This record gives sequence, structure tokens and C-alpha cells, in this order.
Amino acid sequence: MRAVVFGAGRIGCGLVGRLLRQAGHEVIFVCRSPDLARHLQRVGRYQVRLVWGPDSDEHVVDGIEAVAAHRSNQVLAEVAAADLVATAVGAGNLAAVAPIIAAGLARKDTTANVIAFENLLDAGGYLADRVAAAMREAPQALEHGFSGGLVYGAISQRLGDPNGHRPLTFVGEPGSTFVVDGRYLRPCLPQLEGMIVAHDYPAWVRRKLYTYSAGHAATAYLGHLKGYHYIHTAIRDPEIRWAVVEAMTEGQQGLAACHGRSFAGGPQDLAAIVARFENAGLNDPIERVGRDPRRKLRVGDRLMGAAHLAEEAGVRPEKLALAAAAALLFSPTDPAAGDLQRDIATTGLASALEHSCGIDVGVGAGRWVAELWQRMIGGWEPGNLLLHLEPILWAWQSGLRP
Amino acid sequence: MIMVRHPETRSSPVMPEVARLLTEWGADVEVIYPDDRVTDVSRVRVERDLYVLKSGTELALSLAGVLQMAGAAILNPYPACVMLRDKIVTTGVLARAGVPIPETLITSRPGLLAPFLEDGPLVVKPYRGSQGRGVSVVWDTEEIDQLPDLDGPLLVQRYYEPDGRDRKIYCIGGQIFGVKRVWPARTYTEKLGEPFTVTPELREITMRVARALGLGLFGIDFIISNGRPLVVDASSFPGFKGVPDAPLRLADYLYAAAERVLSGEPALEESVA
Repeated sequence: MRAVVFGAGRIGCGLVGRLLRQAGHEVIFVCRSPDLARHLQRVGRYQVRLVWGPDSDEHVVDGIEAVAAHRSNQVLAEVAAADLVATAVGAGNLAAVAPIIAAGLARKDTTANVIAFENLLDAGGYLADRVAAAMREAPQALEHGFSGGLVYGAISQRLGDPNGHRPLTFVGEPGSTFVVDGRYLRPCLPQLEGMIVAHDYPAWVRRKLYTYSAGHAATAYLGHLKGYHYIHTAIRDPEIRWAVVEAMTEGQQGLAACHGRSFAGGPQDLAAIVARFENAGLNDPIERVGRDPRRKLRVGDRLMGAAHLAEEAGVRPEKLALAAAAALLFSPTDPAAGDLQRDIATTGLASALEHSCGIDVGVGAGRWVAELWQRMIGGWEPGNLLLHLEPILWAWQSGLRP
Repeated sequence: MIMVRHPETRSSPVMPEVARLLTEWGADVEVIYPDDRVTDVSRVRVERDLYVLKSGTELALSLAGVLQMAGAAILNPYPACVMLRDKIVTTGVLARAGVPIPETLITSRPGLLAPFLEDGPLVVKPYRGSQGRGVSVVWDTEEIDQLPDLDGPLLVQRYYEPDGRDRKIYCIGGQIFGVKRVWPARTYTEKLGEPFTVTPELREITMRVARALGLGLFGIDFIISNGRPLVVDASSFPGFKGVPDAPLRLADYLYAAAERVLSGEPALEESVA
């Protein structure tokens, strides 16, 4: 089986390429960066280091090929010859790769599967729509299977220089799994280690978003406020750990009301998630995990989506709202966070949140977020940090007298 | 970690916990007690990515000097630690940096201080000292004669009545923590005190101290006189007692510093260096 992977980043190489090669499939990466494509083609391999605290396990992924995205004729030919197309290009770039995928699929006379490993609620549907739009004259393209690829596992960093001769190393955690949407995939799907073919894919997306992703974001935003640099240090702070577990419990209670208790999971599942956050081997910086709070605060996304679901289940999403309020004070060095804070300063919280994230601060979880933000903002200034979350105690505060 | 071994009666759980956390996170941590062993100075090599100078003994400081001259990354940096050992130089540097300090005199002859007592009592400190050792408050000329036999220069500062609370500010890489304690603190619990929110003015003073001395990990003692804070002492790598989750914060800071070193950057963060 031959697979084309769009995106040779952390997920593309660290997870997708590794699992495909491990199962003996041919893999060719399509890289936006010509330098990276040249490097992978020249070196022909890379390494994946799976780490758990101080322990690690090295995997060599060899026999790979790569092509630069701008070489459209070659990319098109590769897609036409592929049985599986995967994307891991970032949600914002998905629309840009749709036309070439469409053109390649149009040339096929057998069916293929397309899996979008992107941070979107319905990445498969989104990509299918764009491919369909690009193929108005060849609608047979949609005879192929389309699915999102929901990754349970972190590939935290890439080490090495694409301009050098030594293989790159991708660092991630062991035991990663991913979920694909069995409803829309075609039978030619390869068997890959850790792949779960789900027929209730949207529920799986929610489960990941409203527990793991909500907890990850809460750790980053509260950790930033308390001055930590890494996820693995912030989660060891007793106050943060408690708030994160509470936030994920709120998310889990909302899920349980919708999908049943056994699907939502219990405390042992949350303990396993917290143990993953503790994994210092990933060396995951808070600056990276908390990036783009505007997107992460959207209604339906990890924090507010979980909060609304909890509310519908009659659960007050107190700690989810706390994490969302903390997200509004995330590092101003993050461009999206800075934009959001400028919007709030210019138009006020209610307007900024409604326009940026679709949050109504007048009701429910939105009101909680606004109230908690109001309690925090009194002492917040860039560079300040919280000594305690409850009661709120800032390291320094304007207006205080000696 | 360059450490000094404390007597078992002294509770000092912070650094062992820092070492435990760093080890748990994958760092290879070695604890060195230079005062408990004989070291061949010609065989000292830089064998670690980062050295953490916690001990304040003369031998530890000298060993840090040998290491730094050999190219080691050390926190706090050796030159800053050397400067801090000399209270006269430290006070002068702070004054030049615009850090408010009490009226400060230096002398080697305590008898010459008598005229200055007319404006109020004085605090007499040995110029190389720590943890309050050898510090006396002098109210009149008779007390000058009764001063313990202090060998070497003296740092003499105007005395201000404490307000009953001992307030300290600790700094971990640009993060500041105010801790207030009863004075004098006797038990470990009393020494832990409680955190408090500091004023922007105190924060600015603390950051000025950090920049002037080139320190990432330090503590300052200050008093409030007529509503104005005055810095009376600074110490390198104190015990951080009372800082919430101090071992975790220190380990986080040292881990980030080691990462900077591995990336070819200085161990000390840019805002202070």
C-alpha cells in the first residue's frame, strides 16, 4: 500500500509516517518547505523518540520519500497513485491542499481513503467539502473515503536541522492512538497500530476535546498565570492539578449525560490523562500549548464546549470557566492572545468575546467567565503572577501602598 | 548542585526536593559537598551542563570560580556571588543603580562612629557576613566599646525601628515573591511565614537589584521608613522559605536555564543578564 502524507511535521512524521512505515507501507511526504523535502529525500529516514519521564525508546523510520508541495505535477501523480492520503498541515492550511488532492483523486480509477489529522471538529467533512468544491467537473472524487484523524497522544517537538545531514528526531509520548470515522471510510483502509475505527466519531471528538484537550489548555492557562514554563511543572502545582482535574470532571459529567457514563470515562481515565501531562520527557512548553486562546475559547471548542455541555447536564462548570478566564490573560507575546487582549481593551469584554469566540457573557458559562475575569483583572498586568488561585493573590499589584 | 551539608537539626527540605524533581524530569543531578571532601584543583573539569551554586561557603565559592573560569554555566554566576559576599561593594553597586538604601557608612574603626550616633542608632555589620551573624545595633558610645571584636571593615547603616514584621522579597528568575514573618522567627513554621502582595515600587526595586547584581535567584531584606522602602541586605540563592511551591518553582526555573544552556544561550535569562 502506498500513502501520501501532506505535512512532515510533528504529527505527520512523528505519528502518521511512523505507523505507516511500521506496518510496511510506502510513504511519501509532501512538504511545504523545499528544504525539508530535500532533507527527507536525501537522508531517507528520521527518528522518533518516545519518552516517558527519564526513559525513552528510539524508533528509526526509514525508506521514506519526500516531495516539495510546489512541485504540483509530481504531488498530483503521487496522490493519483496512493491508496491512502493523510494530511497533518494544520487546520488553517487544509483548504490550500484540497485542490491538489482533488486533482490527484480525479485521476484514480480505484478508491482511496483520505484522513485529515487536523484540529477540527469535523476535519474529514471539511476537507471533503473543499475537495468536492475543487472537483465540480469530476464529482466521482467523493467516491473516496474521507475522515478526520483524532490523535490521542502528543508529539511535542522536532529536533535537528533540516539543512543538515543528520536525521531529524521527533519527540513524543508512547502509546498514542488515533480515531477515524468508520462511517465514511472505504474498505481499503490499512490496519495500523493504535487506530480505532469509530462509528460514533463526533462523540469521540467531544470526548477528547472536553477531557484531554480541556485539561491540557487549563494546565497551560493556569500554569502561565502562576509563572510556570512547562506543562509537566504546572500540573505538579497542587492548586493547578486540583483545578485541572475538576475542569475535566465537569467535562466528563457533560459527556456522561450525552453519551453515557462508560463512554465518558471516570476518575481513572482522568488520572491517566494527568499522568500524561506529568511526562517531563515531552518537555512541552506552556507557551506552545496555550497558543491561540482565541481559537481555543470558541463556543464548541475544548473549554466553552465542555462548559456548555456540563451546564446542559446541570453541572456548574466552575473550573472550566476559571481556565477560560485565565486564557484571556495568556501571554501577550502570543500574537493571538495579544490581539484578544487589545480587542477587550478597545471594545470591552462582552463585545470582544462575542465577536472573537461567540461567547455570550450575559448567561451561563459565559457569565461565569466574565465574573472570574473581573476578579482576576484587578491585579493582572503582563509579567505578574498568581501566588494563589484561591483566594486570588497576586505577586504585586498597582495601587498598593507600602 | 554545589551544596553545604546542614546539621540534621536544621530543616532544609527545599533543595533535596528540587533535586528529586529534576531527576524525575530526566536531568542527571549530582550533588557536590566541596567542604566534605578533598578536591584536586588541577583536575576540576566542566562535566555538567549547568552548575547550581547553593552553598555559601568560601570553598564552594572558590570551586565555582574555578569552574566558571573553565567555562561552566553557573547559577548564580560566580562574579555576582563574589560581589554579594562583600556588603560594601554590594551596597555601593545598589546605590549606584538607584536602589534606595539607608544612610550607609564604612569604616574599620568603630570608635570613629560616635559623632554619627547623634542622629540616631546605627546597625553595625561585618562587611563579609551572612544570616545576621555579628550584626549589632548601637545606641550610644558605650555600646561601641562593647562591640564584639570585629576584624576587618564594617558596614554601618542607620537603624530604623522594625514594624514588628520581617518582610522579605525573593526572586526566582524575574518572578517576585513577598513573604512576611514574625520577627524574630524561631520555628520552621514561623520562618515559612506567609506570602503577601508587594507594591509596584518594591517590584521595580527588586528588578533593579536583579539587573545591578546580575542575579536570577536571590532574596532582599527591606525596611519601610517614612513610607519609603529601603533595601538593607541582599543574598544569593536563599532558602526561599515561604515562597509558595518553592521547590517546584525553583526546579522549573533551573530546568528552563539548563535548556537555555543546551541551546547555546546563557544560563541567566536575558532580562537580568
